[in-house]
Amino acid sequence: MKKILIVDDEQDIVESLKFVLEAADFTCYCAYNGEDGLRLAKEIIPDLIILDVMMPKINGYKISRLLKYDAKYKNIPILMVTARSQEEDKIIGEETGADEYITKPFELDEVVKKVEKYLK
Amino acid sequence: MNTCKSDKIINMIKILVISDRKDKCEYFSTIFNKNTYELSCMSDENLIYDLISGDTPDVIIIDAQINSLKNINKKIKSIANNSIIIFLVPSSNIDKELIKYANAFLTDDMSDDFVISTVNVNLRMKNSLEMLSNSNKDLADSLYRLNALYSTSSQFSGTLDKAKLIQYMIEGMDRALSFSLTCTLSLCTAEEPVLILNSLYELSDELIEALKLRTVLNYNSLFEREEAPIQINTDTLKVIKQIKYPASRFTFNLFRFDNMFARISLGDNLFGCVEIFKEAPFSPDDATCFQTIAQQVSLPLKSAILYQEIIEANTKLAKLERLKSEFISIVSHELRTPLTSIKNSLDILMSGRCGEITESSEKFLSMAMRNVQRLSGIINDLLDLSKIEAGKMDFNFAPTNINTVIDYVKTALSEVAKSKGLSIITEQDNSLPDITADAQRLEQVLTNLVSNAIKFTPENKTITISSNLVNSKDIHINEYFKDSIKLAPGDYILVCVKDEGIGIAPKDLLHAFDKFAQIENSLSRKAGGTGLGLPIAKQLLEAHHGAIWCDSELNKGSKFCFVIPAVRVEQLV
Repeated sequence: MKKILIVDDEQDIVESLKFVLEAADFTCYCAYNGEDGLRLAKEIIPDLIILDVMMPKINGYKISRLLKYDAKYKNIPILMVTARSQEEDKIIGEETGADEYITKPFELDEVVKKVEKYLK
Repeated sequence: MNTCKSDKIINMIKILVISDRKDKCEYFSTIFNKNTYELSCMSDENLIYDLISGDTPDVIIIDAQINSLKNINKKIKSIANNSIIIFLVPSSNIDKELIKYANAFLTDDMSDDFVISTVNVNLRMKNSLEMLSNSNKDLADSLYRLNALYSTSSQFSGTLDKAKLIQYMIEGMDRALSFSLTCTLSLCTAEEPVLILNSLYELSDELIEALKLRTVLNYNSLFEREEAPIQINTDTLKVIKQIKYPASRFTFNLFRFDNMFARISLGDNLFGCVEIFKEAPFSPDDATCFQTIAQQVSLPLKSAILYQEIIEANTKLAKLERLKSEFISIVSHELRTPLTSIKNSLDILMSGRCGEITESSEKFLSMAMRNVQRLSGIINDLLDLSKIEAGKMDFNFAPTNINTVIDYVKTALSEVAKSKGLSIITEQDNSLPDITADAQRLEQVLTNLVSNAIKFTPENKTITISSNLVNSKDIHINEYFKDSIKLAPGDYILVCVKDEGIGIAPKDLLHAFDKFAQIENSLSRKAGGTGLGLPIAKQLLEAHHGAIWCDSELNKGSKFCFVIPAVRVEQLV
C-alpha cells in the first residue's frame, strides 16, 4: 500500500483527508506541525506528501525546498495546500518545488483524484 | 529742552564775517536784519576755527583783502564744507585761486540790496541742495528696504518648511532694519514652542532668562482676558541661539533699548510672535517694514502647516490602506481554513460513507453545502476586490474577440438556465474586430451578469446576450449613470445582457454597483450571491477603460450593458 504523509497544523483538515484517502486504500501518516512533518518525511519516506503552506515554526514552502534539494527525497510528489493569502501568493511566486497546488476550500474527491494521478 | 534750542538756531541764519576792517564788520551788521540773521565778525585765526567747528555758520564772508588770512581758505572749506563761502574782493580783479573755494563774490562797492540778495540766493540754493540730498537719501533707504522685502518675499515663496520660513523672516528683518537682537517665539513646531534668539553678541544666562519670561508675557498678552490656546512657560520653552559675534557679550540693561513687537498670524491663526531690540530708536518706516515682514510670513506659514498636515494625512491613509489589505488577506486566510474543514466534513457525510442519508438529512446537508460554497464565493470576491482596489490585480491583455467570450459563457451557463426553464439566446454582430482585453476577466464579468439574469428571471422566459460595434456618440446612457460615466470619443464594443426578470427600482439602480448593495434588498437576497459581483465587474471594466450601466423597469426586466474601447489590435502595435 502506498504511503501518504499529510502535514497540516489544522487537525480537522488532516482528519478529513485521512478519512477519504484511507477509504481509497492509502496508508496515511499525519503530522500537525512542520518540524514533525519533516522528521516523519525522512523517517518513513512516503510515496506522496500533502503539505500545508502556512504552519508555525517551519512553513510548507521551506519543507518542500529542503526535500526537493535532497536527492533522497526529491522524487516524492508534493501537493501544496494554500489558503491564497497575500503572503502565500508571494511565496508561490518563488520556486517552491511543489508539484501541484490545492486551494482551500478544496473538493476532497479532487484531492483523491490528484493523489491517484501521481501514485498510479 | 534740546528741541527748543535747536528750533531757535534753525530760525536764525548764522553769518560769520572774517575781516579785520572794523567798518566792514559794522557795514554788514547794519544791512542784515538782526531778527533774521545772527552775525559775528572776527579776525583771530584760532577763534575762527573754534567757532566754525563748534557752531557751523550758514554763510561765511571772507575778506580777501586781508593778507594774513590768505592761507586759511582751504582749512575753512574743509571744516565748514556745508557753509556758503563768499569772498569780499576788490572790484578790479579776482584771485583765480579763490574760485576753488567760493560760492559767490562780493565787492566793496556793491549796493546793499546786491549784497543781501547774493547771500539769500546762495542760501536758497543751499537749502534746495540739502532737500534734494535728503530725498535722495530717503529714496535710497526705501529702495534698500524694498529690496530686502522683495528678497525676503521670494524666499518665503520658495519653501514649505516652517523652521526655514521663520529663519528667512529673521534674516529679512535683519537686512531691512539692522537691529541688535531678535526674540522670535515660534509656535509652529506644535507642542514644543521654540524661542529663537538672534543676536549680534553673546547673551548672558540672566538675559536669556529675562527674554524667556518677557516672551511668555508677550505671548499671553496677545489674548485679552481669554486663556491662550497653548500654555507656554519658561521651562518648556526651547531656546535656539544664533549669535553673530560670539566673542562679545551683551551686558547692558535691555530696557534702555528701543523695541518693536509683532504677532505672526493669519486671521485667528496665531503662529507666534516676534520682538526686536535696537540701541537707537526705530523710525516709523522701520515699524512699517517690520510689520510687513511679519505679515508676509503668515500666509506661507499657513501653507507650510497645511502642507505638513496633508503629508501626515497621506501617510496615515497609506498606512490604513496597507492595514486594510493585510486585514482582508489575514481574514480570508483564517476563514478559508475552518471553511475547508466544514466542507470536507459535509463532503464525507454526503458521500454516504458514514452511513445512509435520509431524504430530510440530505436536504439539510445540501443547504449547508450551498452556504459553504456561497461563503467561499464571498471570500474569493473580497480578495479580488481588494486586489483590484490596491492595484495589484494582474491582467493578461491579449487580442480577444468578445463573441468567443459570449459563446463560452452561454455554453457554461445553459445547463443552469435550462434547469430553471430559461433559454439564453445571442444576437451577435459577427464582424466585430478583436480588442485588447483579458478574456478571462471578461468571462468573469459576463458570467456574473448572466448568472444574475438567471437568478432574477422567472420560468419560461428568455435571456438575450447581444454584441455590437458602436460609436461613443451613439451610446445612450440613462439619466442615472450619465453623470458618472465619461467615455472618450471613439468606437466601442457594446455588450448587453437583457432579462425578463423582476427588474430594479429606480432608487436602487444607482446603488446597483455599490459593494454589498444586494444585502439591502431582502427580496433578492433569497436568490443568493455575494453582492460583490457587480462592483467587481465595474472595476474590471474600468481597468479596460470601459464602463457598465443598467436600464431597468420594475417587474419587466433589466438590461445590463457594458462597453470596451474597440481599439484594434494592430493600432496598438
